[in-house]
Amino acid sequence: MEKGKISSLQMGMIMYLTIMSTAILTVPGITAKYAKQDLWLSPIWASLVGFITLIIVIRLSKNHPQQSFFQICEQTAGIYIGKLVGFIYVCFLAYVTGQIIRSYADFILTVYLPQTPISVIVISMTVLAAFTVIGGLEVIGRVSQIFFPIFFFSIFIIIILLIPKLNLSNLLPIMEDGILPSLKGAIIPQVWFGEFFLIIFLLPFLSDQSKGRKWGMITIFMVLFTFLTANLIVLFILGQNIAGSIYPFLKATRFVNLGDFIENMDPIIIALWILGSFVKITVFYYVTALGIGQWLNLTDYKPIVWPLGILIVQLSFWSLPNLMVINQHDETVSPFLGIIMQTFIPLLLLGISSFRKKVKPVKI
Amino acid sequence: MVRRVKNLLKTKHINLSHSATQKKPSDKQATLTYTINENIEYFRSIYANCSDVVFRPILIGGVIQAYLLYIDGLANVEEADEQILNPLMNSSAKNTNEMMNMLENKIPVTNLRKLSTLPECIDSISTGNPLLLCDGINIGYSLCLAKWEKRAIGEPTAEVGIKGPREGFTETINVSTSQLRRIIKSPSLKMEELFIGQLTKTKVVISYIEGIANHNLIEEVHNRLERIKIDGILDSGYIEELIEDHPYSPFPQILSTERPDVVCSNLLEGRVAILVDGTPFVIIAPTTFFSLLQSHEDYYQRFPISSAVRWLRYLFLIISVLLPSLYVAILTFHHEMVPTALLLSVAASREAVPFPALVEALMMEVTFEALREAGIRLPKQVGAAVSIVGALVIGQAAVQAGLVSAPMVIVVAITGIASFMIPRYAMGIGFRILRFPIIFLAGALGLLGVMMGIIAIIVHLSTIRSFGVPYLSPLAPLKGSELKDTLIRAPWWKLKTRPHLTGEYNKNRQSPGLKPDPSKGGE
Repeated sequence: MEKGKISSLQMGMIMYLTIMSTAILTVPGITAKYAKQDLWLSPIWASLVGFITLIIVIRLSKNHPQQSFFQICEQTAGIYIGKLVGFIYVCFLAYVTGQIIRSYADFILTVYLPQTPISVIVISMTVLAAFTVIGGLEVIGRVSQIFFPIFFFSIFIIIILLIPKLNLSNLLPIMEDGILPSLKGAIIPQVWFGEFFLIIFLLPFLSDQSKGRKWGMITIFMVLFTFLTANLIVLFILGQNIAGSIYPFLKATRFVNLGDFIENMDPIIIALWILGSFVKITVFYYVTALGIGQWLNLTDYKPIVWPLGILIVQLSFWSLPNLMVINQHDETVSPFLGIIMQTFIPLLLLGISSFRKKVKPVKI
Repeated sequence: MVRRVKNLLKTKHINLSHSATQKKPSDKQATLTYTINENIEYFRSIYANCSDVVFRPILIGGVIQAYLLYIDGLANVEEADEQILNPLMNSSAKNTNEMMNMLENKIPVTNLRKLSTLPECIDSISTGNPLLLCDGINIGYSLCLAKWEKRAIGEPTAEVGIKGPREGFTETINVSTSQLRRIIKSPSLKMEELFIGQLTKTKVVISYIEGIANHNLIEEVHNRLERIKIDGILDSGYIEELIEDHPYSPFPQILSTERPDVVCSNLLEGRVAILVDGTPFVIIAPTTFFSLLQSHEDYYQRFPISSAVRWLRYLFLIISVLLPSLYVAILTFHHEMVPTALLLSVAASREAVPFPALVEALMMEVTFEALREAGIRLPKQVGAAVSIVGALVIGQAAVQAGLVSAPMVIVVAITGIASFMIPRYAMGIGFRILRFPIIFLAGALGLLGVMMGIIAIIVHLSTIRSFGVPYLSPLAPLKGSELKDTLIRAPWWKLKTRPHLTGEYNKNRQSPGLKPDPSKGGE
């Protein structure tokens, strides 16, 4: 199905970009709604979900080495229920891909090209992603390896440029209403950390299996660190005004002004958003295509890439007619769907699989 | 020799209407006969209407009838007169045995080959070696006396530099191989020859260093070369296009150079060079994106300067692809990005221009490309006229007439210079072409379009491989130890290991601890 191999370093970079690219822009705003000035604590709670998911996934693939997720489902839950679970996952992945493309397109529309038809933005990105998916995992790995430093260092430079504008007192008071608001604020970011679940699709294609766990952990720490920094920077600059804006990090970068010449950094943020979204969309698209191939036991996933693209474009409009519904959906449906699909069901599978493993020797 | 015959046998089934030997297809395996008249008859029929083929009848010792066949202008006639005809005519040989004995022992020619089949004889004549046919024996003697007019070794014109060797390859392959051999004297430098082209029978030499180049790589090069069945090879460009991995890519996947030092440095890193007769351009495989951005001089001048120059090159590579499209995108969609003062002066100069930025950019870029192309093709005497007209019309008159804005001229000029900064012409032209679709994207979607273009290029570059080596290596996939010769040019005493291409690998190229230090001096 997939002949290419990636290194665990590449996997880490793929995951970092997949999670961070969209999170850095939208998550601080949503978190701030609940956590107020404690929003920087929320990623720490949320990262717990990430660690748990990663451990589950690594354990699961250790129990079933070199098996695809769908084979694991079938082996643990039996062929019929396993196929059903697999089907649900394929639908989930396709749906999430559509949703990501939609949120990418909405961002471009709101801040950037308000006159352009949304279908142009969605379709152009889908076509680009489809070509990359056909290139295979190796290409995705290499592309991430090139985009990662660009993404990481640009964020870093922007943060450095923002230093003169920071107002550290915005941090206070810490935990005014106890720990609860920051926990509430963690409900949404955990969806992003839960995306580490995707590692289970990449693990069989690692050239250095043993390092998968190590680099997974490093990636979570990196994501947590970036999340924390972004949230803090946004808080220091915008203070209590964060909750009002959809893209607070973008708003914060507008404060960059160096010698009246280096200003208006938002094109860089937009460029980074496009780069990151591209990787994210490609990874989800790839996993969906690969998943369908594995679920149906096809020999190659490439023939379904283009038809799937049409479906994904449709899915990005299907259930999400406008921005209001999208925001509503992001806050009410996504967190629960995310934690169930990305953490809870894998945990259940791991439980069954470990139980079976223990029971096996007793079998006569 | 064996390989040459094999090639002939392999190519048997191909029909080429103009082939002279095709008149008697059954004769492919045919051998010479004992009677000279039959043989001569055969050659005359093959070389009918070839006025440049000379049939010189001679009588050896006044008794045995013989013929000397050669192509006028390809054979060294003075040598033939003196060393062949003179002893033959004056010899005392009375029968065939005596004559053969005398031929093999008394003719002062370095390389004398005995040929028995007709195709071999034809090959011999075609390459310029006179063929001696005698009555009574079914063997032809090929006398190694080929000599033709050739260009002297000169400075390479396409790859000039300030420092470093000043000699380049010439069109003659023997001279090229000797130039390589003069640099790498070890017998591990191997040269395997092949003949490609049904009609041109072009000699192609695969050169590599045994023990450094990977065996699979050499085999792969052989396989790809051997499957070429074509009527003629006129330049290494033919071979390049016929053996590369991704034929539709705008990027060259094989390095082409006319400098022996560049070829040798690549051989020493385990790559394989393919020399082609008739062209000074030698091609080298595998090649990566970054090696196409390196110049030979990087290794000859001091390392901090080379590193800085490399960074300059990377910067201008990006400029050469993106500057016009960014200009178009910003002027069309995102005025707010430009600092106000700058925006005002640009807007002022664009006031009179009747075209949108996209049209203006396309017009100027196309004109620039036309000027560049015209400058290359025109005879030297007219070339100056083109540059004067170009500079005046495009630079001055167009701006004064208000057709084009001055900033656009600056953008085009910088882009043009930037694209000439890429040391490999083939690479530069690849990027030059990619500029146009990105300008269109920028005109249609603004910065989003530019980003789409960049992503598409990077995805494409990530997809390409050259003979099994990822094109973007050592950056993606990351090979940390090789970045020392990619991001920077580390000093020579730091470049301890060879780049790893594929498979097994001869790692070290120098002994450790070469860093110079006064305490390590001889005193």
